[in-house]
Amino acid sequence: MAEYSPPSYADVNRDVMRTILETGPKYWMLLGGSVLVAVTCFFVPWIHQLNVGIGTAGMNRSAMWGSYLSNFIFWIGLSHSGTLLSAVLHITQSDWRKAIYRSAEAMTLFSLVTAALFVMVHVGRVWFVHWIAPIPNQMGLWPNFRSPLSFDVMAVTTYLTASSVFIYMGSVPDFAAVRDSSTGMRRRLYTIFSFGWRGTTREWHTLGWAYTFFAVLVIPLAVSVHSIVSWDFALSIIPGLHHTIFAPYFVCGAIYSGTAGIVTVMFLIRKYLNFERYIRQIHLDNLAKLLIVLSSIWTYINIMELFNTWYGGNSEAIEALNWRLTGFYAPLFWEMILCCTFVPMLMWTKKIRHNWKAMLIISLLINLGMLTERFIIVATSLPRKFLPDAYGFYFPSIVEIIITIGSFAIFTTLFLIFIKWVPSVSIYEVKETLKPLRRADNGE
Amino acid sequence: MANNVMGVFQYEDEFLAAAQQLRDSGYDKLTLMTPIPIHASEKIQGLGKSNVRRFTLFGALLGAVCGMALAVGTALVYILPTGGRPIITIPPYLVITYEMTILLGILFTLFGFHIVSGLPAWNDKIYRIESGVDRFTLVVDLGDGADPVQAENIIRESGAEEVSRLEGDA
Repeated sequence: MAEYSPPSYADVNRDVMRTILETGPKYWMLLGGSVLVAVTCFFVPWIHQLNVGIGTAGMNRSAMWGSYLSNFIFWIGLSHSGTLLSAVLHITQSDWRKAIYRSAEAMTLFSLVTAALFVMVHVGRVWFVHWIAPIPNQMGLWPNFRSPLSFDVMAVTTYLTASSVFIYMGSVPDFAAVRDSSTGMRRRLYTIFSFGWRGTTREWHTLGWAYTFFAVLVIPLAVSVHSIVSWDFALSIIPGLHHTIFAPYFVCGAIYSGTAGIVTVMFLIRKYLNFERYIRQIHLDNLAKLLIVLSSIWTYINIMELFNTWYGGNSEAIEALNWRLTGFYAPLFWEMILCCTFVPMLMWTKKIRHNWKAMLIISLLINLGMLTERFIIVATSLPRKFLPDAYGFYFPSIVEIIITIGSFAIFTTLFLIFIKWVPSVSIYEVKETLKPLRRADNGE
Repeated sequence: MANNVMGVFQYEDEFLAAAQQLRDSGYDKLTLMTPIPIHASEKIQGLGKSNVRRFTLFGALLGAVCGMALAVGTALVYILPTGGRPIITIPPYLVITYEMTILLGILFTLFGFHIVSGLPAWNDKIYRIESGVDRFTLVVDLGDGADPVQAENIIRESGAEEVSRLEGDA
């Protein structure tokens, strides 16, 4: 392996600026393809659904919730590691965070946007979606703040706002760097984006304090968001959903899938934006170790969920559990266990942890497992409630499946736009990890 | 007439030594520009705890009050009896309170950042592009009619690559 030679301060600026200022035909082709898939696979089917009605989705009388909501949970979950991990590592002053956090936070932001889109698709008559917001109206109607769905709106809106502020504020010094490297219209735009940042001591000092407060506020927020998403299910009395363990289960699953998502994104930006000098083995190794821990916690909570249901002796809950383990969707359940419990065990070996391609495959499999997990939660509980004569069945329609595929294209599109507008590696924080520019240290 | 002296340094330690010496010589109006945050320069400029924290605290407290007021107020405006339970049910309203606490805490921190840092500042100010890359720049505002020679000497003797006199807002 080639010996690592740390970049200089100027190298960092040049390498990161290059990803913004130089755009090749491959990028445009990828962006064009991604936009095309997003439009044809997400917006066209959605318009079709708006035209013919929500019945075109596979949801039915007993299964009122379907893949749209399971996708919503998946994308909210995927959003969890970016901002949360970044905030936790900032508070604990972990230097290895600095090269990867920006793209991880962007992942948070765009996953949230994608998740919010699924709510719009799910509600059917999207033009009434503002009714959930506490807006004064002539009917004197207000949202019911006792409902977990109202909690959800507040939590997701707050999280979206906080994540946007967090990533923007962390990027202000880097926007100034883009401003300094560009001319014309781009320079004027980045002058506005950077607020006229000059890197004075007062500016750094204030940013440092503000950023720490953002981090401190974002950590409990992120935990609350997925706890609240879990309450959408757990506060019902439906067998298979009514578990007190759901909040930690969802939060752990969210961080788990988000961390796997970071590995995927990290692999891609490292390879295609040539960030080999910045995103290194230590990042992969640390994230792999984190994934092992999260996988163990996730598996433990799953075992507890099974045990509690069995030990509880509630016949409806046991019936729901049996159907989950042996019924129509059992292959999906066991696929989830394979992907999220057994595949991550490969990371116990250092050889796998240090292999970028192996880690990419593992991270994708973990997220496949997590996507399945969310689907199973919805699809195996709602259609089979208490009385067997009321049992139904849910299978996603072709429209739902295509929209699910389209959501990945929306995320990709947003991410591709992001890497051309925001430095995807934090310039100033990477510099902080380098050897300080001191005459004493430079042997002169 | 030039009222500022600017020094550009390659090395952080020399830059900090110059800043400290200027400060000790009575030059209070110092602007230090660096490519990365340097805690030693905060000490030289006498920056302690930032006032941003007051904005955060105020925002969080206001958010808590607003969150609870929103939940309680709307429940009282539109009475929705559920299973004979009280109209004002504290446990679920605490969730709304919690979210609003964080939301306004974040927004007020953002507001506080702008107030305390003086940003946005889009007007032309003395700035060297290199100080965003790999150079450390200090600007001494001498005020009207002051002799710049002493400041220039301190900066030069500390090891500055470049010393210049400039007019403008530091």
